[in-house]
Amino acid sequence: MPFYLKERIEDIKARHIVRRYYGKKLPRAEKIAMTWMAIMAFWLIVSGTLSWQNLAVGGSISLIISSFMYENLTDDLRYEGSFIKKVLTLAFIQIPQYAFIMIFQLLESNFRVAKHALFLGINPGIVRLETDLRSATGTTLLANSITLTPGTLTLDVAKKLDKTYLYVHWIDVKTLNMKKAGDEIKGDVERWLGKIFW
Amino acid sequence: MIEYALLAMGTSIMVFGALGILRFPDVYTRLHASTKCDTGGALSILIATALIIPAPPMIKVKILVLTFLIVMINPMISHAIARGAHRSGVEPKVVVDMYARDNP
Repeated sequence: MPFYLKERIEDIKARHIVRRYYGKKLPRAEKIAMTWMAIMAFWLIVSGTLSWQNLAVGGSISLIISSFMYENLTDDLRYEGSFIKKVLTLAFIQIPQYAFIMIFQLLESNFRVAKHALFLGINPGIVRLETDLRSATGTTLLANSITLTPGTLTLDVAKKLDKTYLYVHWIDVKTLNMKKAGDEIKGDVERWLGKIFW
Repeated sequence: MIEYALLAMGTSIMVFGALGILRFPDVYTRLHASTKCDTGGALSILIATALIIPAPPMIKVKILVLTFLIVMINPMISHAIARGAHRSGVEPKVVVDMYARDNP
């Protein structure tokens, strides 16, 4: 098979996988349950007590809210087989891992900004990246993570022809190649987000 | 002991952010300094506060929720400011500008 056809066929296969999984979102009951858990956790932290009146009021009101607003929070989550396993891995492995790694990235970027402010060896530029994430929530979180990782700031997000592009202001431009710049800037964040979101 | 180290680190990060805002050449590089140093400084100062204050653990968890909100909202605001500045014609001092090339 000629090489130009090979690239094209791989592109079509990737697009087919995406189409197939877009039809396979979470069922409605699981969406409602997940939204209810998130709202209930926030209510427990904000109210701060554990009496039964508090639990009853919070549970019923968050059930009413989650019964009609379930699409906003959980529409972009990846579908997996078991619901309980998904919730447990999300709450106890994936979110703490993401927070831990982002804290260290933020510390490194603070030191980098201090170094640039003292010695001013900057070479700024606006480059374009391509991501594999397609959903709105995943793209938003990726843009936020790129802003907090060292030396980069997201300017805009554009969607063209089923692909998502990010415009990134890079304070120390090393390469203009889209793939190499993507590896340099996104790092592992995109892979971790790709496990959770589309 | 660790809370005082966190407080000192947060204030020094804030000072370096202010220095960066004064010394960097244009809007976008200044946004770098303000976003990252504000987020990191507020994060470490709030964690130190949560460790220092004599309060029940629910109050401390509320302060951690505050840090979460700051970390989520701060980059979005810088993103909005940078996009608005570029759209309204603030010229960036850069070596390459693919955004202006793709959106003439």
